[in-house]
Amino acid sequence: MEEEEEAVPVRTLLANRHISPEMSSCFLDEEKFRQCCQLFLEHSDSLSDGWRWESVKDSHEGYLRKTALGTSRRRSNPDQISEREQQQTSSDPHQEKTSLSLQNNNDGIDDGALCCLREGSSGVVIQYEYHILYSNSYQTPVLYFRASTLDGKSLSLEDVWDSVHSNYRQRLQNGPWDTITQQEHPLLGQSFFVLHPCRTEEFMRPVMQAALEADRQVNYVVTWLSVVGPVVGLDVPLSYCTQVPAVPHCTFNSLHPAAVETSPD
Amino acid sequence: MTVPNWFTNALETRNPLCATWREKSMADDKDVLRDVWFGRIPTSFTLYQDEITEREAEPFYLLLPRVSYLTLVTDKVKKHFLKVMKTEDVEEIWFEYEGTPLKWHYPIGLLFDLHASNTSLPWSITVHFKNFPERDLLHCPSNYVIEAHFMSSIKEADALKHKSQVINDMQKKDHKQLWMGLQNDKFDQFWAMNRKLMEYPTEEGGFRYIPFRIYLTMSDRPFIQKLFRPISPDGHTHTLGDLLKEMYPMAIANDDEPRRYQVVIHGIEPLLETPLQWLSEHLSHPDNFLHISVIPAPTD
Repeated sequence: MEEEEEAVPVRTLLANRHISPEMSSCFLDEEKFRQCCQLFLEHSDSLSDGWRWESVKDSHEGYLRKTALGTSRRRSNPDQISEREQQQTSSDPHQEKTSLSLQNNNDGIDDGALCCLREGSSGVVIQYEYHILYSNSYQTPVLYFRASTLDGKSLSLEDVWDSVHSNYRQRLQNGPWDTITQQEHPLLGQSFFVLHPCRTEEFMRPVMQAALEADRQVNYVVTWLSVVGPVVGLDVPLSYCTQVPAVPHCTFNSLHPAAVETSPD
Repeated sequence: MTVPNWFTNALETRNPLCATWREKSMADDKDVLRDVWFGRIPTSFTLYQDEITEREAEPFYLLLPRVSYLTLVTDKVKKHFLKVMKTEDVEEIWFEYEGTPLKWHYPIGLLFDLHASNTSLPWSITVHFKNFPERDLLHCPSNYVIEAHFMSSIKEADALKHKSQVINDMQKKDHKQLWMGLQNDKFDQFWAMNRKLMEYPTEEGGFRYIPFRIYLTMSDRPFIQKLFRPISPDGHTHTLGDLLKEMYPMAIANDDEPRRYQVVIHGIEPLLETPLQWLSEHLSHPDNFLHISVIPAPTD
């Protein structure tokens, strides 16, 4: 009996999925993800800013990859997440590295990354490796990254939390464990940090809706990355937003729930 | 490992086309959940030979719960070895089996099925306190890390099953109940909440997609995870065999050739005719994923 009662809300929710406008969703399927990435890469090539497509052996899957240098902002920021980490930082021998020492170490690193350095040269120089993957479960892109100092020492999760841009600190402090954590890279099996995708659809929906209302087509991956990238020091040049074409029908599908999935639910 | 009676019985009485089967086997099915939850692996922990100790370190023996995580249930192991070590020789603990670092974020039962099936018990794990393999293993400095990983798996599974609607409807204390149930090995506490994550509209016949991962020992890639529905577009029940045919056909042997692979979940080889929806509801780990190991068949 109890079971019957409990089952109702789920059923009602699921049954209403197709008719309720606020339930309309903004998902990206895998094929459109690849198309978006293709267009993204064409623009990246024209800028020579270092993005590459890495394919996985014996599979059509892959990911966008880029390495860049940045600085950890932890020293200049007063509202530290963890006291312990602050103490660690002050005894960190690498902290005195300046942007000068970096100039000799930027082989293969793009100029865009060097710009970040000037803002926060009081921090530690960090080498970032960013990967953009597709998540089947959330039907959105996901940003994976790893970070190390120039002598190869990996950053800890606390280091990464502390280096999050101050604009996003509030969100991080409210729920650090469901914002950025360390996870296994689903294609490589190695340790990476990940920006959790579970809220991606939530913030992408209004962005995509606004674009549609203004009759403006946008590339999902570009729009998404320009929102999540800056959280972890990855800035997206404005030209991506103005010059990378949208994938046809990508934005329209998202607003018609019935068209989101090809087979019946 | 041998196939327990409860499971072969459940499978023999099962007929996927017979609607009454579900009702008849309800009582049995609850036993399945218990048997899965209380599965244990006898394990011996040995300190790595190069670790510096003040006196000889005896091995430590423990029954490990299949559905839990290594770093969640090995406090005693750690304490045991710390007794013979100097603090300055101790860094983050990690575990290894025959040269392979063990990923604590995989459920223990999965690690055993994947790396140690068809070997003799107890399972012999080596304990390290130095040279943490940064690339291969996630750091686990506290139980918060395990909790975050566990909850993020449950959330991902619910995104697949119900577009996240059930997990988002739950309150923070409900999430806590799932975690505390696992942490304290409380079957009833966990299932009182987890059953909500196992519901689905009757008319749909199952979840939206089945949360599963297929692990291959002989692959560079850690696992296969794609979208797969429990019911085919023309209304047929998808089975374990259907899933494997689609994701990794090599796992299924043709009739005329010797079997090359075993397909293992919770230490047993379920029949390929078993409906996937049933497996998802009963043989999923507490993280709500069906973890399927495809391992080389033993050669005699």
